[in-house]
Amino acid sequence: MGQLFAEIRQYRELIWTLALKDLRVRYKRSALGFLWALLNPLMTMLILTVVFSTVMRIAIDHYAIFLLSVLLPWTFFSQALSYSAEAIVSNGELLKKVYIGKSVFLLAAICANLINFALSLLPLIFLVLVLRFPFHWTWVYLPVPMLGLIAFTLGCGFLVAAANVFFRDVAHIVQVVLSAWFYASPIIYSLDFLPRKYYLFFRLNPLVYILNGFRLSIYYGQLPTPQSAAMSLACGFGFLLLGYEIFRRYQNSFVYYV
Amino acid sequence: MLISGICANLRPKRSCLIRIQFEDVVQQFRVIRERPDTLREVFARLFRGRSHYHAFLALKNVSFSIAEGESVGIVGRNGSGKSTTLKLIAGVYRPTSGAVRVNGRVAALIELGAGFHGDLTGRENIVINGLVLGLSRQQIREREDRIIEFSELGDFIDSPVKQYSSGMYMRLGFAIAAEVDPDILLMDEILAVGDAAFQQKCMARIEDFRSRGKTIIFVSHSMGSVQQLCTRALLLHQGVLVADGSTSEIYEKYEEVSQHPIGAD
Repeated sequence: MGQLFAEIRQYRELIWTLALKDLRVRYKRSALGFLWALLNPLMTMLILTVVFSTVMRIAIDHYAIFLLSVLLPWTFFSQALSYSAEAIVSNGELLKKVYIGKSVFLLAAICANLINFALSLLPLIFLVLVLRFPFHWTWVYLPVPMLGLIAFTLGCGFLVAAANVFFRDVAHIVQVVLSAWFYASPIIYSLDFLPRKYYLFFRLNPLVYILNGFRLSIYYGQLPTPQSAAMSLACGFGFLLLGYEIFRRYQNSFVYYV
Repeated sequence: MLISGICANLRPKRSCLIRIQFEDVVQQFRVIRERPDTLREVFARLFRGRSHYHAFLALKNVSFSIAEGESVGIVGRNGSGKSTTLKLIAGVYRPTSGAVRVNGRVAALIELGAGFHGDLTGRENIVINGLVLGLSRQQIREREDRIIEFSELGDFIDSPVKQYSSGMYMRLGFAIAAEVDPDILLMDEILAVGDAAFQQKCMARIEDFRSRGKTIIFVSHSMGSVQQLCTRALLLHQGVLVADGSTSEIYEKYEEVSQHPIGAD
């Protein structure tokens, strides 16, 4: 872990520059540019809101905010993971020529998506204001689930980035797993809709604790139980330790397989 | 070779600092006949139960030391292990066994412009490439003007790199690497690029490096360009260090080795 922080320190300028480059390339030659980072979540939210609150008639007040409060962190997680899977492989040519800390590319991918995530919070704030939804004081709790989310995403990112070097199937598997994971997590629905007997299944999903923190503090104006808060951090840092350890163990062989 | 032996070859009055030391270095690659790129292939292989790898030794027990201020050519035919040696010095590979010790900042002019991003402008690429090569943002800001001037790109510096000709691409790559000001400069046949005038400029730059006591490692299969740049040469043949000596000595040995057909031991 100490090694990870040392690498972040050593390469901080490069990580930041690569992250900005990533975003610049992503939005280059598009007329709206960075606005897409704001429009994308709004559009997705609009579609899902129309489908679930108008067509399927789910009875939840202010469904848009209910949804967006966890859809945004989810989008960060799923996009960052897709990027991570390719992070090492797509920089293979460079890795074969210059020595550079391998975690740099992964950290840059996560960092780029983190900037995107921060931008996507603006439409949420905009919506809260427009719909005259109360701004709960519990927003101040958000850094806790945020920290858990970033650690969890990094951990999973390290895992898939390393695995994809050796088996290129991983990038495809990630896409399938993500779409299943989306429906298996309480994002478009609430756990209250489900019979209690399914709760055990949800307890096994580490993302539930993290997303719960976001929804409780933004939508319900409540704090999660201390156990739930502790679980969200424990899951996050547990996965970070595991993922980074595996990445570190195999990073010197990457160059032979990219 | 004994360290004192090397220092005796150096110009006097310079304290002897070993920049690069190879100790019994073996580099093994697993050459995969059919690489299992997908899980399906891994499973298929599990059932068939035999491996498609075979070990290939790119370097066999190679030992040498290079001191500060030396300019050393590494020569040999295709597949002799020259580029592997360079990548071991650059830290891209870790030796399978033995030890590689490198003392000082290394900059590699291996395929100039590796890691340029086509959608970004030359100026943006200077920043990224400079950071990759180990400069800080502050240092890049200070050197940016010199890099642009050396590359002779003029207004093209603000155009996307994908619109560059291959010559422009190489010129920018060299200009950045030259400004990194490394202790050890690694070069892999890069002077074959650019027009005659630019090549001369590059040579002058390398000459300047040498006069400032920097260590230069130059990999080539042409003995001519090595003689132009280096005083000492290492001759590799099929992964074995066959000879280590002055360029004129190696020149003759290289002739002999060249007669030797590849694959005949």
